[in-house]
Amino acid sequence: MTENKSVPALFKRNPPIAGEAEAIELAKAGDPEAFSRLYALHKRRVYTLCLRMLGNVSEAEDMTQEAFLHLYRKIGSFRGESAFSTWLHRLTVNLVLMHLRKKGLQLVSLEETINPSEEDAPKRDFGSRDPQLAGSVDRVALERAVALLPPGYRMVFVLHDVEGYEHNEIAVMLECSTGNSKSQLHKARLKLRELLRQPEEVVDGSVKQAAL
Amino acid sequence: MSHMTCAEFQQQLPDLFATRDHLIAEDSPRHRHLESCGTCSALVRDLEYIAEQAALLLKPVEEEPSDKVWKKIQESIEVERGSSTKGDTLSSVTVSAKPQLNPVKV
Repeated sequence: MTENKSVPALFKRNPPIAGEAEAIELAKAGDPEAFSRLYALHKRRVYTLCLRMLGNVSEAEDMTQEAFLHLYRKIGSFRGESAFSTWLHRLTVNLVLMHLRKKGLQLVSLEETINPSEEDAPKRDFGSRDPQLAGSVDRVALERAVALLPPGYRMVFVLHDVEGYEHNEIAVMLECSTGNSKSQLHKARLKLRELLRQPEEVVDGSVKQAAL
Repeated sequence: MSHMTCAEFQQQLPDLFATRDHLIAEDSPRHRHLESCGTCSALVRDLEYIAEQAALLLKPVEEEPSDKVWKKIQESIEVERGSSTKGDTLSSVTVSAKPQLNPVKV
């Protein structure tokens, strides 16, 4: 994940923000206003990443707090080899993964016997003739479906399809093989397809028609 | 001409999507299966759509954490730094709701 050939693509994903460089230098020197500015500039991105990886607001807010506290302690070690937002992004991902491991969650196993139960695992698709999905999914439906994914599937899906990491980068982060990363991503997409095609959706305890 | 079953085709999908070559060589068994099987072509189409929508719909949208997150950060830092000193402290700093950002074209 830290290979030089990945840096240009990551930099392009996270362009620099005006005024950020100055805020970083001042924050390194202990300027509280500068640190506050960095928080204001990056809080949404960090929080959204945590929210998508964890699937709930409470944990996401806790991890956002952790990420910025970590930033506060470690900002002196930022040397500028990558974009600051890339560095912060990676720090956040690592903290969330550590948090999940502490909870005892096995994100990916060598035999791919990850946490989803038989009920959660995507079904094979042979011979079905359901209506096509293309053009029928909105952001809210997709967000809800992603939140319903088992944690391991959700992690790889968010990192790859939303955040744009490559499988070799994800493999390093999750300490698994690229094969596992590809497999988990595929299963995540299959599961999302199932969820998005369901005719009814349970929301806050009541059954509502899905927007499909 | 070899015929591929749906199971065989779908088993190859994780690698095919990863290498972006699921739209490959027209004479390949995969391509022939995709051309002839409505189920697998619908599956590929849907999975591609989901991946595209993830980037298009989800990535640009950012949620806002509640104000208590910053408050807790301030409190934690103050604890780490010990008692507050005279002059600027983090607790005296408020985070503006909308930072003054100048868009930068890359």
